[in-house]
Formats: sequence, structure tokens, C-alpha cells
Amino acid sequence: MEAKKIALAIVTFALVVCIAIIILRAPTNTVSPEVQQVDAVVVKDGIQYVTILARGGYTPKISSAEANVPTKLIMQTDGTYDCSLSLVIQAIGYQKILPSTGEEVIDLGTLTSGQSIRGVCSMGMYSFVINFT
Amino acid sequence: MKDYTFHVSGTHCASCKIFIEDTLTEQTGISHVCVDLKHKTVSLETTLDETQGELAERLTATIQQNGYALSVLEPVEKKQGDGVVWLAVPIGLAVLALFFLFQKSGILNIGLGGTVTPVTALIIGLIASVSSCLAVVGGLVLSLSATISRDSQNDTRPILLFHGGRLLGFAVLGGILGVIGGALSIGLTATTLLGLLASVVMILLGLNLVGIFEKSTLTLPLGIFKFFRSMEHTTLAPFLLGVGTFFLPCGFTQAMQVTALSSGSFLSGLLIMGAFAIGTLPMLALLSFGSASFAQSKHAPLFFKSAGVVVLGLGSFAFLAGLAGLGIINPLITL
Repeated sequence: MEAKKIALAIVTFALVVCIAIIILRAPTNTVSPEVQQVDAVVVKDGIQYVTILARGGYTPKISSAEANVPTKLIMQTDGTYDCSLSLVIQAIGYQKILPSTGEEVIDLGTLTSGQSIRGVCSMGMYSFVINFT
Repeated sequence: MKDYTFHVSGTHCASCKIFIEDTLTEQTGISHVCVDLKHKTVSLETTLDETQGELAERLTATIQQNGYALSVLEPVEKKQGDGVVWLAVPIGLAVLALFFLFQKSGILNIGLGGTVTPVTALIIGLIASVSSCLAVVGGLVLSLSATISRDSQNDTRPILLFHGGRLLGFAVLGGILGVIGGALSIGLTATTLLGLLASVVMILLGLNLVGIFEKSTLTLPLGIFKFFRSMEHTTLAPFLLGVGTFFLPCGFTQAMQVTALSSGSFLSGLLIMGAFAIGTLPMLALLSFGSASFAQSKHAPLFFKSAGVVVLGLGSFAFLAGLAGLGIINPLITL
């Protein structure tokens, strides 16, 4: 093979690896500076509230909550106009387009240890998970 | 009745076969036209008296402007085709890498407060057209325009009709949303399914653009190419497709639809969705007319193969995302 083809093959391989790293990297909870810090999990009057901000994706992407406590999910939006608005939570059959600014309270019920609730935007590109322990 | 077999050049897809067979059969005195794509030959029966050479010349004139030619002797094969793949793949991958980096960077994460006016709707459209929605809607537009530009000379008309359909469709459907509200909604599941269908189309078109179907005996089902004939030659098909993009999964579109719904009047719904569609126009026009202009340049094979790689990448991404959206698989990819 000519040198040019070898070089191109190497570049191709490097790009494939780059793309794999970019899109397959496990989600981390990096919060961008403009996003307000939210108290993710709060228990009040015996009910556990998990707050997740929906804007350009979901933050935090991974939450931990207590099992065996009645739980409600608060979806916060703030001038959101992207896919994170059309939320699908398969486990409870929830499908709704959230208001672009505001708070939406969703009843998750009481979950046992080891269960988790996953929320996905309708395009499937943004997601969050709440792990119960 | 005489039987002749000619060599044919310029054929690279099944729709070429249909076109050549139809056009030649229309000529008086010609029948039983059969194109063999694999061996690049055309055989036919004729009651005419012309010599094979004269026939080749005359018949070529009927199909020449679409890039085909009949000859008696085997034409010299242009070697350009194969070497290009090695360059096209890294180019396509680089474009995909940039796209995903851009999405992940969060640059687009700007909130827009306040009520939505037609002006804000237009800005949202601009943002949407470079966001992750580009993977589905943009990818579909690119794959369709590239395929149409590669196969036919008059590609401007279907592209114009497509954009017209999209703009008019968004405006009118937006107005209807403003008046009768949720009755138009097809539901989130149906929308996600539509997105999955679009991603499958993109994957097939991507494979076609890259040239997999030429090299093997695999061909796409004939139904798909009849669809392309209608896209290239009729008025209604591209227009309706443009209108149909209203229902593709794109969070921005859905958010705008909800806003139009709650706006309460035909006019405000029309203005909001119309402005949004205009906002998405620059990017989509770039993709579609850009394909059309590349088709004429000497770099055409490189462009089409690179576009094919990009379309394959976006299509696969949209396919996996769609499956995740339906809950069939856990999301493998999170932006």
C-alpha cells in the first residue's frame, strides 16, 4: 500500500477512537457554571423530593435516593427549548412535554433498594438516572 | 427483429436501470430493453434498420443528459472511483467528531426567558438547526439531497419544493395548532417511531452513497427507487416530505409546537411555527443546495462518499437514540 493510504488509515483509526470516547464516555455529573446548584435530594414531611434541572440535557445525570421512602421527582426548567423538554419515564409510563419555565412534580411512588428510575428525552439523546439504595 | 447488446456507462443505482429501460422502451421500434447493472450492458430488440453503431449514437442522445451513454465497444474504465474511499472515510469521521464535540460542549445551552415571539422563535430555529436535531432532520435532508443530486441533473426543483413544503407546512400546521390545540398531536411514541424510520432511511441512503450497493450483488428493494423517481420527477412528493418533517422528533420543534398550541389563535400559531421554520432554513438550505452544487464539481465522488459516511454516522446515532427513547435499550450515548 502506498504511504498515503497508510497515513489515511491511521488517521481514520484515530478518529474512530476519538468518536467512541466522545459519545460512549459514561455520563459524569459535571455541572456548567451557569446552572444553579440544586439540592438534589431532600426529605420533607416524610416525602423524598429529587430535583433535576432540564436544560440542554438533564442535571444531575446521576442521582442517589433512599429506598422505601415515598418519592416525588421535581423537574425544573428555566427557559428550556430543547429536547430535554419532552420527557419520557418508561418505568411509570410518563410522557410529557414540560413547560419551558417552571417546575413539574411527578410522583414516583416508593421504590426498593436496587431499583432505578431512568428518564429520557423523546429523541433519546439526553437521559438521567436515579438510583435507589 | 434484431437483438443487440450495448455497453452502458454512468449507471450506479437501480433507479438508473428503471430510467434507462423506460426511456429506451418509449422509442419507436425498440422493445424488450433490459439493463444488466452488474455487467454494465443493455440488451434490446429492435425492428429498425439502423446499424448497431448508429443505434448506439441515437439512443445515447436520449439518455445523455442524465449522464448515461451506450457504446458498441467497452469504454475505458475511469480509475477515479476506488481511491477516493480512503480519503472520504476520515473526512466523514472528522465531520462527525466535530459534530458530537460541538453538541457535548454545551455551547448551545442558553436559556431563553420570557414569552416566545416570532422573533425568538426564529432564533430558536437557528439554534435548533445546529443542535442535536441536526442529526435527524439535517441528516435526512443531506442524505436525500445528496442521493438526488448524484442521480439526476435537475435536482434544484425537488429541493426547492421540499423547502417550500416545510415552510408552508410548518406555518399552516402551526396555525391549526393555535386554533384546535392538541388534536393534531400524534403523540410522543409515534414521533419517536417516525424518527426511527427516518434513521433507517438515512442508514440505507448512507450505504448507497458510500457505494456498498455497487460493489456487491445486493441492491436496495425496487420500491425505494420508485420512491426516488417520484421525488425527482413529481411535484407532490418532495413537497409532502417537507411538510412531513413537522412530525420528526426534534425537541425544539416539539417545544415550539406546545407554544403555538397555547398561543390561542391561528395567526400567532402560524407566525411562531413559520418563524421557527425560517430559522432552520439557512442550515438545511446549505446542506441541500450545497449537495446540489458539489454534484457538478470534479470533487463529486469524494463529496458523495464523505457525505455517505456522515449520513451513516448520524443515522446510526439517531437509530440508537430512537431505540433509547422508546425504552427498548438503555441509552448508550448521552450528549
